[in-house]
Formats: sequence, structure tokens, C-alpha cells
Amino acid sequence: MNGRAVANEFTKMRRLRVAPLVLIMVVGVVALTCVTFTAPGFLDSVDDPDARPWHWLLAGLALAVPLVSPILLAVLASRQVDMEHQGHGWLLNQVSGVTPGHLCRVKFLSMGALVAGATLAQSALVVALGRAVGISVDLPLGPWLGYTTAIIVVNLVLFALHLLVAARVPNQLVGLGLGVLGVFVTLAGTGMPLWSAHLLPPWGYYAVATPVDTDAGGVVALDPPYLSVLSLGIVGALVFLGVTRMFDRQET
Amino acid sequence: MGAVRAEFLKLKRSLSLVVVIALPVMAVVTGVANTLFSGQQPADGWHTLWLRVVVFYGLFPLTVGLAVLASLVWRVEHQGGNWNALMGRQVSSLRVVLAKTVVLTALALALQVVLVGGVTVAGKVAFDLPGFLPPRYLLVSLVIVVACVPVVALQSALSMVMRSFAAPVAVALPGAVAGVFLLMAGPSALSMALPYGLVGRATQLGTGAFADGGGVGAASVILLITAALGLTAVVVAGATAVLERVDVR
Repeated sequence: MNGRAVANEFTKMRRLRVAPLVLIMVVGVVALTCVTFTAPGFLDSVDDPDARPWHWLLAGLALAVPLVSPILLAVLASRQVDMEHQGHGWLLNQVSGVTPGHLCRVKFLSMGALVAGATLAQSALVVALGRAVGISVDLPLGPWLGYTTAIIVVNLVLFALHLLVAARVPNQLVGLGLGVLGVFVTLAGTGMPLWSAHLLPPWGYYAVATPVDTDAGGVVALDPPYLSVLSLGIVGALVFLGVTRMFDRQET
Repeated sequence: MGAVRAEFLKLKRSLSLVVVIALPVMAVVTGVANTLFSGQQPADGWHTLWLRVVVFYGLFPLTVGLAVLASLVWRVEHQGGNWNALMGRQVSSLRVVLAKTVVLTALALALQVVLVGGVTVAGKVAFDLPGFLPPRYLLVSLVIVVACVPVVALQSALSMVMRSFAAPVAVALPGAVAGVFLLMAGPSALSMALPYGLVGRATQLGTGAFADGGGVGAASVILLITAALGLTAVVVAGATAVLERVDVR
């Protein structure tokens, strides 16, 4: 049943223009990260390990992801759920054996796979472009993979939140407004001490996951608390399952 | 005038006021919070506060906020049988497009008024800055509102064509990214030719950020206003031509 329901969601996505939206997310993040290439002296120091060109690029990625992702995740969740509100899809699915909570979980599985793939693609594309402009020093694989994994977790938790909001509130303004609010919370999180960014889930965790910082002396590698991001993922999953089970018990 | 009044009447039942208040207030709160957490007073008084609030606000949130407002203004036309009623209207397509643009410009003005009010209150209450916001930022605010006009005209056109509420907002975001990219790396003329780049430039006016020289000269103000009016004319003409060709559905 799950497999057919997921396949059905992918079929619905064709008319929702999900592919261009996911592409916008990837291109937006990569384009903003590429602004790093225009920094004075960056292209002259691609061979210098002391200049840490990959860390600069990672800093660019860590700035671009929270600026672009919250709004587009809100748009993706909104598009995916709005059709059920418009066409009485909740009732149709319920009489077909797919309860509202189940439908939300199916939507999360199908769109979540695309969100995770897009996040992975952003990271890989930035590495490929870094190589293309001639960065020859060793890629800091650990921080890069750690950040990519952490951002996949944060993006998925945020997407799940937007999915629940869109399912509960048919007015799309609320979901999109929350997305815009998220950009501000993320920005505020970057300027706060790390402990206080923990208090602003899930947006504050973009700042928690940031693996580099810049100061007057250049770029500094950090040791992000990945355990916090893992905790966010676990709590997010439990809340999502709990709320969608509640949807199952409510009348459509 | 009747078309504009009708649009304002439709606004009454939308949640546009929430956006108009929440968006600039969030920008001010974020700018103030970051300044407070840094543990420093605004080094250059009002200028630093303006810089901290408006530079980021102009790069992304303003564009996205205008896109949301445009979607809200057109939402009613896509519901029920309202689209067919619009197709059977007595006023010309140009007047419909202009009326929507005027209403959205009024909302952009309201956004800026709330922003200026918020910065003033934050400067006095949070940082006890002397005097009030310098008049040059009122002039900059006026330029920002004028620079918002081509953006709202373009977003209005997109919301007219797209029935989805969220899709035009999704278009605005890469538009804003392109605007930022052109501001930072592209030729100056190109950033003025893109509505999203133009509004970005207007919000940086007088701040010294990115391509801005830091001054508010007559030449740059006239250039920005001329570009905004020219872009608006082009977008409104295009939207009118599209509305002329669409039919009932």
C-alpha cells in the first residue's frame, strides 16, 4: 500500500512542477555559494592550503543554504498539500484506505527523498565547481560530509513541519509566512551564542550545524555539535509521527 | 478610480495587514537582536542600525514579502467563479493591471513606513541613540518604495498568470538570488535592468554595502527612479497584453 501511495504522489508531482522548484532550490544555493569566487584574492589562492579555499566555500554554502531553503521548503510543502485541500483529496484518499495522517507520511517519504537528494546535489555541485575553478588543495571531507548530513536532517525536519502546517491550515499564506519568518530566525541564530540557537528549532539548527566561522584573521574551522542535530532529527521524527497519528483519528 | 477602490475593498478581507506589519518588524527585531548579542553599541549610531536592519531585508525578505502580497491580491480572482467575472468586466485590462499595481504600491509604502517606524523605535528604546533617524534615510525610503513598484508589477503579472499562491513566490526567490548575484558580482547596469536587482540596489543606497558608494547623491537617486519607472512601464504593458489575450476557464 505504501509503495503504491508513494508512486501515486510522484505521479501527482508531475503536474505540480515540483522538478523546477527543486531545481530552483539547488541552483539558488549553488549560485549564492558561488559569490565566494568573486571575493578579492580567492581565485589567486586556490593552490594555497593556508588560505583554506574549501573552508571559504563551505562558509559560502553555510550562508546560502539557510537563506534559500526555508522559503522553498515552505513552497514545496504548500504545493504538495494544497491540491488535497482544493480537490477534496483528503476524503478521496480516506475512502481509498489512505487516512490523512498516512497521506502526510507518504508525502513526507516521496518529497523528503527529493529534498534530501537536492541537498546532496547542492553540496556535490559546489565541490565540483570548486574543482572546476582550480582548487587543488585537499577537500576537508569530514567537515563537508558532516555539514551535508546535518543540513539534510535540518531540511527534512523543516519540511515535515511545513507539511503539518499546510495540512492543518489551508490558507497558504500561513505556511509561506512561516517560511519567511524562518529566514529571519535563521539570521538571528547566526548572530547568537550557540546555546541560544538551540532554542530556535528547527531554523536555529542551520546555525548550530555551521562548521566554519570567519573573523578578521580569515576562516576558522569549528566543531559543530552534531549530536544536537541528531537529537533534532529524532525529536522531529517522533513529533511528526505523533501528529500524523492524531490526524488519523480525526474526522476529515 | 473605481477599479482602485474595488481593489482596496478586496484587501479588507485578506491578511495583507499581517504581512505589512510582521515582515518589517521581524527585520528590525533581527537587526537589533544581532547587534545586542554582539555586545556592541551601533558604532556609527543611526547609520549602523539602518545598515544592520535594511541591507539584509532588501536582499531577500522584501522581495519575497512583495511576492506574497501580490499572490494575496490576485488570490481572490482565482477562487470560485471570480476569474470568469474578471473576464466579463467593464473596465479595460490596463486599468485592472494598474489598479492591482497601485494597491500593491500602497502596501509597499506601508511596509516601508512600518520599517522606518520600527528602526526609529529600536534606535531610541534599545540603543538610546541621540536625535531621530536622519532625513536622508527618509529620502532613501522613498526611493525604496519607488524601486518596489516594478517588483510588485512583475509579481502581480506572475500571480495573474499562475493560479497557485506559492508558485510566484517560488519565482521571486531565484529572482532575488539573481539580484544579489548581480549586485555583488555583475555589471551595475544589469542589476538595474532586473526589478529584483533594482530593489536590492535601492535598499543599499547610502549604506556603502556591496556596489554602493555610501552617499545619497542626486544622480544615483534620479537613476534609480528613472530605471524603476521605465521597468514598471514595460512590465505593466506586458501584463496588460497578456490579460487581453486570456479567456474564461
